[in-house]
Amino acid sequence: MGLELSIFIDYGPRILVGFWLTIKIVVLAIAIGLPLGVFLALARRSRLALLRFAATAFIEVFRNTPFIIQVFLIYYVLPFYGLRLPAEQVGVLALAAFGSAYFAEVIRGGIEAMPAGQLESAHAIGMSETQAMRYVVLPQAVGVILPPLTNQMLSLIKESAILSTITVQEMTMTALRIQGETFRPFEAFIMIALLYWLLNEVVAIGMRRLERGLTRKTPRSTTLKVEGGR
Amino acid sequence: MKFDISYTFDALPRLFEGALVTLQISLLGIALSLCLATGLTLVREATGWTWAHRMLAVYISFIRGTPLLVQIFLIFYVSPVIGLDIGPFLAGILAITLNSAAFVVEILRGGLASVPKGQFEAARALGLNGWVLWGKVILPQTFIASVPALVNEYTQVLKATALLSTITIVELMRVSQQIYTRNYHPVEVLTGTFLMYFVMCFAVSRAAAQLETRMKRRQA
Repeated sequence: MGLELSIFIDYGPRILVGFWLTIKIVVLAIAIGLPLGVFLALARRSRLALLRFAATAFIEVFRNTPFIIQVFLIYYVLPFYGLRLPAEQVGVLALAAFGSAYFAEVIRGGIEAMPAGQLESAHAIGMSETQAMRYVVLPQAVGVILPPLTNQMLSLIKESAILSTITVQEMTMTALRIQGETFRPFEAFIMIALLYWLLNEVVAIGMRRLERGLTRKTPRSTTLKVEGGR
Repeated sequence: MKFDISYTFDALPRLFEGALVTLQISLLGIALSLCLATGLTLVREATGWTWAHRMLAVYISFIRGTPLLVQIFLIFYVSPVIGLDIGPFLAGILAITLNSAAFVVEILRGGLASVPKGQFEAARALGLNGWVLWGKVILPQTFIASVPALVNEYTQVLKATALLSTITIVELMRVSQQIYTRNYHPVEVLTGTFLMYFVMCFAVSRAAAQLETRMKRRQA
């Protein structure tokens, strides 16, 4: 069987609608997951043992289970306790919870990679707390945190494909439907694979630019490795 | 509705069987991935085939830039269309292997970078080259340096196998779906499954962390 190019033209618009939903879901999940991740990272360093334990447990549980089962469990648990949400919102919540656990580890790593002497020296030359943070600690921390943070965002794009299993009409679900209607799996899946790839590269290049603009000449001391999903 | 833990306990024996399948598939997957990645590493580091290097770069970028689920669907749904009737099990193993190998190649690159240059020079000075140089001198050191990262990669593969439930492979995730579509108690059954994945992955990632600190101490 040859390549049926008309599939790309006939079904392209529907795929793009799914693509748009994928982007919306990921952006929302990052918008919720990143602040939650900051909170978890700080909670894990808290002096309150209970808070520390709760944050650690949350992070470890979400990092050590497959995303697909987190999605299913959240999908069934919410109505079990009387909370009925559309699949799309369940998907955003699941992706945000999953992302926050990894974001937390990236941020914690960034804070811990900072030598204590940096803050102390800043105080020694007469900087206030906010000045020290603004001019010494943060510019360096950004250089350490941004690359793994970018990886984490990219992995959320990829994990969002799994939301198709709970009937969210994102890009992968759309392709599954189209292959069911046309019996043209190659065209359907290669189309979305290329779009995911494109999105991945665009975000990666954009974040690298941002990183260069923000960090300027500060040397990158450590690179963190925190692995996200697939 | 109330959480009825007896459904979790009832499901346990079958979930254990599912977990066993998950372990088998994931071990097979990581083993094949390691073999493939070793071959690809040799192509990248020990040959001057620029066209192969370019293809390898595209392969790694594609795998890392697209969802594993889409890769699984591509292989599973497309293989019969092009006349390869390989069935869900082979398609799943193939997808996991191709996916993981792209990450293992990068791990081995890191391991190789930690092998001192003097090792190459000393081996060449002794007249070793080709298979002996790589097989007896360089690769063993590369593997040892990569062990913690490889164990970590295994947790990724372990988690990835859950996606094979979508192409009807009866592993842990699929078994739990089979159970709760029959007894209508998804929360209780999935909780058991969830805990099983957690125990497996947490044990392996703890082992990886410990290996890493132990190896750092040895180097110091």
